[in-house]
Amino acid sequence: MTTRICISAVIDAPIDKVWAKVRDFNNLPEWHPKFSRSHIEGGLPSDQVGCVRNFDIAAGGGTIRERLLALSDTEHYFRYCILTSPLPVRDYVAQLTLYPVTMGNKTFGIWIAECQVTHGDEAGLVDAVGNGTFGKAFEVLNEFFARQRH
Amino acid sequence: MASVYRSAVIDAPAAKVWALVRDFNGLPKWHPAIGKSAIEGGLPGDRVGCVRRFTLKKDGGLLREKLLTLSDSARELTYNILVSPMPVANYVATMRVTPVTVGNRSFAEWWAEFDVTSGPEHVQVSDIGDNVFVAGFAAMNRKLARK
Repeated sequence: MTTRICISAVIDAPIDKVWAKVRDFNNLPEWHPKFSRSHIEGGLPSDQVGCVRNFDIAAGGGTIRERLLALSDTEHYFRYCILTSPLPVRDYVAQLTLYPVTMGNKTFGIWIAECQVTHGDEAGLVDAVGNGTFGKAFEVLNEFFARQRH
Repeated sequence: MASVYRSAVIDAPAAKVWALVRDFNGLPKWHPAIGKSAIEGGLPGDRVGCVRRFTLKKDGGLLREKLLTLSDSARELTYNILVSPMPVANYVATMRVTPVTVGNRSFAEWWAEFDVTSGPEHVQVSDIGDNVFVAGFAAMNRKLARK
């Protein structure tokens, strides 16, 4: 059975600024506190579709390798899959998409993952990915742009 | 071909916003520019292919619009204009409602593509974008927003 995780939020900044912040596939640990250290395998550019990012979950949580499947500067999304990770999942594919909120010049972000949970606590995994990773990402992006405004 | 896109955050759950938007005969219930509306031939308003016939409050102008797509899973509907007082042709528009899970609100989008048959294109684009779409979102927020 496929598990679907979907978190969406409003980010109080124009879409171009939010996209510039999240677009770099090698940059996740720079702005997301749950992750540390990242490099693109084989020295490829981080916007070369097919490249693999190799990064750590902070505080010794293990290493994740993810392949960039799609990147769109016109539709503001990137899509990736997990190659190896300590998470109890397989066939994990996720996509972050941004939309402009024209009234107020803000951004709507929606982050969706689909996977098979191979063992253990499905609700715990959904919470860790949904709230711990995606929800937290939107939260820290909002904090970042709030600081920029002051 | 001209295109216009407007979007807004509605301070109400997606199910509520969609219930309002979904009723193809329900424009007068929430849109301040619309007078009376009826579905032609007495068809249900959620029957794909049905035609709504409604008038504008400001001048009584008549529009006929046909429902082309209705999706309860994507919370999306698409329609085209058959008859209108506006200088447009080949007009196709879509409205979509997406849940904002953080805060249990809604992201509402409304966009259209059309040809402008007379006058400057940008005037028609901003008239539809601001006086139809944005005015609709603002009214929706007034009607549904949490007090």
